[in-house]
Amino acid sequence: MTDSPDFLIPVPTRGDGRDPLRRDRGDWQPAARRPLPALVTDLRPGAFGPFEHLAQIGRAAEIAGLGGALVPFDPAGEESLVVAAGLLRQSRHLRVVAGFHPGIATPVYAAKFSASLQRFVDNRLGWQVDIGLDPAIARSQGDFLQGADRYARAEEFLTVARGVWNEEGYTYEGRFYQVLAGGFQPPNSGLPFPRVYLTGTSSDALAVSARHADVHLFTGDQDVAAGIAELGARSAEAGRRLEYGLRLPVLARDDDDEAWDEARRLWNIIGGTGDGLPDPDPRTGLWHGFGRIADSAKPGLVGSYETVAAGIRGYLDQGVTTFVLEARPHIEETYRLGERLLPLFAKEIEHAH
Amino acid sequence: MPIDIYWRIGTHGDQQSLRRRVSSRGEWAPVVPGSLTPGVRDGRRDGYSYVDHMADVARASESSGFVGGLLPSFPFTDDPWAAAAALARETTTYRFMIAYQPGFLHPVQAARMSASLQRVTGGRVVYNIISGGGGPAQLWWGDRVDHDDRYARTSEFLDVLKGVWNGGPFDYEGRFYQVEGAGLPEPLARQPFPEIYFSGSSKAAIEAAGRHADYYLSWLEPFPELAAKFVQVREHSAALGRAPKFAVRIDVLARETEEAAWDEIRRGWTHVDQAALRSPDGDSVGWLRSQSFVSWPVRDYRELEVSPNVWSGFHLLRGGPAFGLVGSYEQVAERLDELIGIGVDAFILAGVPHLEEAYRVGEEVLPLLRGHDIRQASPLSPHTSLSVAKGTI
Ligand SMILES: Cc1cc2nc3c(=O)[nH]c(=O)nc-3n(C[C@H](O)[C@H](O)[C@H](O)COP(=O)(O)O)c2cc1C
Repeated sequence: MTDSPDFLIPVPTRGDGRDPLRRDRGDWQPAARRPLPALVTDLRPGAFGPFEHLAQIGRAAEIAGLGGALVPFDPAGEESLVVAAGLLRQSRHLRVVAGFHPGIATPVYAAKFSASLQRFVDNRLGWQVDIGLDPAIARSQGDFLQGADRYARAEEFLTVARGVWNEEGYTYEGRFYQVLAGGFQPPNSGLPFPRVYLTGTSSDALAVSARHADVHLFTGDQDVAAGIAELGARSAEAGRRLEYGLRLPVLARDDDDEAWDEARRLWNIIGGTGDGLPDPDPRTGLWHGFGRIADSAKPGLVGSYETVAAGIRGYLDQGVTTFVLEARPHIEETYRLGERLLPLFAKEIEHAH
Repeated sequence: MPIDIYWRIGTHGDQQSLRRRVSSRGEWAPVVPGSLTPGVRDGRRDGYSYVDHMADVARASESSGFVGGLLPSFPFTDDPWAAAAALARETTTYRFMIAYQPGFLHPVQAARMSASLQRVTGGRVVYNIISGGGGPAQLWWGDRVDHDDRYARTSEFLDVLKGVWNGGPFDYEGRFYQVEGAGLPEPLARQPFPEIYFSGSSKAAIEAAGRHADYYLSWLEPFPELAAKFVQVREHSAALGRAPKFAVRIDVLARETEEAAWDEIRRGWTHVDQAALRSPDGDSVGWLRSQSFVSWPVRDYRELEVSPNVWSGFHLLRGGPAFGLVGSYEQVAERLDELIGIGVDAFILAGVPHLEEAYRVGEEVLPLLRGHDIRQASPLSPHTSLSVAKGTI
């Protein structure tokens, strides 16, 4: 383990836009796209597929020096494994984490798909396995498993996936999955298993993480310190050592005033109710207003690049090393993070190599 | 006639913003953490070069509604022919407006390169014919030909290029070029001939433009002066039985509010050192014109606003021409509409940083254009006068 920070961006698989609620990039809200007036030559119709926009975001992350991109599992959005494959193939360095839940396929199939992909992209694929889905969404995906059973299945899923990945002649007899004399053969064997990202704070979730996660991801509204302590103890019992990550919305500008002006501008776009901008939490420095101006409702950091970097350092000191930085519009903000925020961690990154 | 809108690609790197005149994209500055193309990854160069950023700007431009981009050519830039060849297959609809000076490249070779590029791109090559600004830069290229002769050479160059385009045999006996039995071979011959955007404000330029320009391309100037220049070009061309269209190259700094736009200029202005300013040595009439609209030095950046939203200080904040538009999305669109009103048929817009601003201008400004209704109504409109002359109004 290293204390060099790893920065990822999330990939918006349901469109993107300059302002809150606006999703005029990509083809998810065709009506939201403002057409060019008839007098202006427009060569676009028919020339661009819907992947082009995501490809540009992936390239921005690659060019701006982000460590990776996380493509979420979102039943209402673009399919994550396919998007991940596209983003990986067009880049050389970027690691791409594809989100999915264990109900989408058998573990053998998920591993098989991933083995091909690992070979195609020089082993840069990761998995975010979403276990605790909203029950209605799970049912809409054909998955009726509930409660603790979901964690038991996830445990088996990851066990079997690693089993067939690593062992020829692999056999498994479980509650949810059975395999007889499975296991991959060359050239699909012997590859690095996708890095596994898991989430959740329940005891069940932590138990699966302790045994199977490479990285456990938190959000700012969770008690990160307590989570790390608990997972540290549990994973030590399992003879493992985890890395920790945080999903963190950020709004960073040249100085604090400019960042807060921008927060206010975005806040007022949705506003109309006249309610004021909330202050950041005086204890943690986290701002809880992102729910209204960004894709995620999680708390995050607002301020100058230095302010945001200081907030991130606070988490680094607690042992968090992976940061999924959320900012829209994704292309422009990814450039900004790469050019302005990441260089503030150059020392830590250089030190680690 | 539809309006074609291009978006420039910098061929010598880019800045993060106009706030600081520091290049951080491309190899024109030391590669440090925060540099892009090449960038630093795990303490090492990431293997990318500026062409990778150009590719992203090109793709951003085409997907945000621009038909293509102008690729400038100066001693310190990347070469636009090489860039077009490299980016041809990484783009879909993007038209490459290649800036080049006839004289550095033989017209038969220019024809061969163009024809091959047309085949590679499906006809997406456009020319920006420039004839140089003299001075040390001209000598840097190894060119001692003087101002007016450069235009004579440009004219001959285009005669030869057009002469060989559709196959041979073509003979030519000129002051600068001679060929015998020339002509592009099959199947290079008879590709669509690239549209010619012709630049130059001098008398010699306007005469040559009359013979060759599909579009007469100018830097932005105060609108009445620009309109007067168009009249001159129109007259010269009419004498030769030709009627070129008009294009303007404009930097754009557009924001949600006018105040926010000027605030960007203000931030950049704090780093400007007017004392260190020198006009380039040379014989460019266009540049002298552009400097003649303001009296230097100025005390405040707003003194460079020669008419509402028309600002002539862009060269102080980044390399390139002086004039551009500053204002809200609506204001910038209105000014562009006014230009359409005085007869502009195409724009080459630009903004720093080119990638991010391509999205902004494509999403926020272009959809606001109204264009034709305004053109009919403009007192300076060539169409108005024509209709009046014909007694149709
Ligand atoms: C829109 C535009 C683009 C130009 N681009 C270039 C260029 O890329 N490289 C260059 O050397 N000169 C460029 N020039 C300058 C011309 O070479 C020439 O110096 C200028 O048009 C002045 O010509 P004039 O003396 O006839 O007015 C450009 C000029 C204009 C108007």
